[in-house]
Amino acid sequence: MAEELSADFVVVGSGICGALVAMVLAQRGASVIMLEAGPRVERAQLVANFRNSPRRSDWMSPYPFSPWAPHPVYRPEDNEHLVQAGPYPYPAEYIRMVGGSTWHWAALAWRNVPNDMRMHSLYGVGVDWPFDYDELDPYYQWAEELMGVAGDGDEHPESPRSQPYPMEPVAEPWAMRRIRERLAGTYRVASNPVARNSRTFDRRPACCGSNNCQPICPVDAQYHGGIAAAAAEAAGVRLISSAVVYKLEHDSQDRIVAAHYYDPERNSYRVTGGTFVVAANGIETPRLLLMSTSDRFPSGIANRTDMVGRHLMDHPSTSLTFDADEDLWLGRGPQSPSSISALRDGPFREDYSGYRLDFTNISRVDSTTQRLLLEGVYGPEFERRLRHSAAREMSVKTVLEVLPRPENRIALSSRKDALGLPRPQAHYDIDTYTRRGAENALWHFRRIAELMGGSNLRFSDENAFANNQHICGTTSMGEDPNISVCDGWGRTHDHDNLFLVGTGVLPTAGTANSTLTAVAVALRSVDAMLPAEQGSAAEQRGS
Amino acid sequence: MRLSPDKAAAEPSTTAGLSRRVVLAGLVTAYTASLIPWALAESAPDVDRGNFLILSALIAGREGLDNELAIRYYDALLENDEGFPAAVSAILTLVNQHRIDPLKLQAFLDESRPELAAVPRRIATAWFLGVVESVDGARVLAYEEALNAQLVSDVLMPPSYCYGGYGSWAQEPGKGSVDG
Repeated sequence: MAEELSADFVVVGSGICGALVAMVLAQRGASVIMLEAGPRVERAQLVANFRNSPRRSDWMSPYPFSPWAPHPVYRPEDNEHLVQAGPYPYPAEYIRMVGGSTWHWAALAWRNVPNDMRMHSLYGVGVDWPFDYDELDPYYQWAEELMGVAGDGDEHPESPRSQPYPMEPVAEPWAMRRIRERLAGTYRVASNPVARNSRTFDRRPACCGSNNCQPICPVDAQYHGGIAAAAAEAAGVRLISSAVVYKLEHDSQDRIVAAHYYDPERNSYRVTGGTFVVAANGIETPRLLLMSTSDRFPSGIANRTDMVGRHLMDHPSTSLTFDADEDLWLGRGPQSPSSISALRDGPFREDYSGYRLDFTNISRVDSTTQRLLLEGVYGPEFERRLRHSAAREMSVKTVLEVLPRPENRIALSSRKDALGLPRPQAHYDIDTYTRRGAENALWHFRRIAELMGGSNLRFSDENAFANNQHICGTTSMGEDPNISVCDGWGRTHDHDNLFLVGTGVLPTAGTANSTLTAVAVALRSVDAMLPAEQGSAAEQRGS
Repeated sequence: MRLSPDKAAAEPSTTAGLSRRVVLAGLVTAYTASLIPWALAESAPDVDRGNFLILSALIAGREGLDNELAIRYYDALLENDEGFPAAVSAILTLVNQHRIDPLKLQAFLDESRPELAAVPRRIATAWFLGVVESVDGARVLAYEEALNAQLVSDVLMPPSYCYGGYGSWAQEPGKGSVDG
């Protein structure tokens, strides 16, 4: 090999969590190599890909597919990268590319509610976290300041905070204002905390309302992992793209000594380091651990108790779509501005899942067009119906909690990808706890429609749960190695110098989109990997 | 108005005009005549393109169709299906014979003439979405100019285009924008 690849820290994955961890480690003086399976892609290319995509409603379509680093693709056909073992389908989406999957998100930066982290002791379901909400609060704050979160703490008493959000909420779209006004007195509709600029922040512009948060914000008003990866490189991290890590190697003391990766031509490279951090998302992280077998670890790295890949969770959604009795014109401003949080917590969580109720502001124009084309509506009637639906149609959805269950899991398939590596395989089901939460929401769906003067009510099918791509739990944190993979700092129970970060480490899913919590937890883990010189980084922030 | 063929054989305009009139005369009764953008159709360089413009106007529900887009859509649809002009002509004949309202056209063809049923849907997908199916998959020929964006452009921008200055989306959208 022409060059020795070695660093104090080797980070696998350049998504938002891996990149921010790498950045902080470099800022604290460590040498860091970050390995990313996918290629580098520029934002302008993604915007052009979106506009030129014949399947604009398929938000994965602008993202390049790399045969050497496959990710799941479902349209026009399922590429079966994520093999489905059932009984319920788990069509997760993620992006293997420098910056990872948050290139494509709505930037919802919810905090957990404190009780999300004490589910077992309070409600007798799920597990407790190895630390509590108060301990995470300063790391949430740090994450919010790095990502640039806009929000109003007074609107979110369910998630207490010791300091204000870094930015005021993003301007409320007219449609959301009308929904808030018409539901007032029955429901409190609040603006979502979002990693989206309401003013120039971190040298990025304010939101311009292009209603394209997903699949790609055209102006970077929205934070994403590509920005984090660039910040990591600016801090001195060496990023190697198109480097598909396929094995972690350990020594006789069970310490990790190297990560092996393939380039797209399947040439193999070995990267040595002092400490290893795997941040390859809730599916590819367990896949890598499970692939890294040896005589001593025949079931894979960090998997002595067979917990790697288990406790797979996400946030399933049910929805109601209807026509309001006034013009709202969804599609002006950001896509996901407002929600109802009242049902996220309560004693009912002993029996059924808590949930958030989210209002979409996604333009109805393309979806209505597709529907009218399918129905064969031509002539002047097309314009009339398009304008009617674009103005009047609105939708509310649940964001439901899933409990950590060992039988919901990511395993390895016997089928291989283009580099000959086993594909990940999903075993998943929606249990009665979550289904009862969905049933409970029906009453609120109807009430909301009533308050909006709704007609033409269309409920999602009772057995059709849409997936939200909040892949959690597969490498859970916990104090007991029999039900977790790593400790509260992300350090694997089996390997002193192997840390895991990302949504996979979250022990419960709660009803908060997982990214902000995963970033906060990752930043907390950095303090265990490489403490700041005085006190924790969160305490030092701003000093 | 100009409509220059990219690929169709260049015909002397007088011949094209003659043959177009002959075919249109055979096709059209008073019923379809009322729906047809005559000026546009007569500017077409050949009968097939003229027929395409007529059927496009019926499907799109408007006479004022973009000429450049018409050329692009026609060329792409022809490239994908050499029987396209004949199918368009056959559909126009049916519309005329049976006095088919554009709103009922798709159902009529699905029911009675399935071999032609894909054609209006392809034309509608082109005009309303800007997308044309082809042998190598679908292609986008228009986005901002696609009719579904144009039909709401007084209120909405196509996604990925900035709505306006910061916070402009907080204002009430224009009045009188939807039927009662």
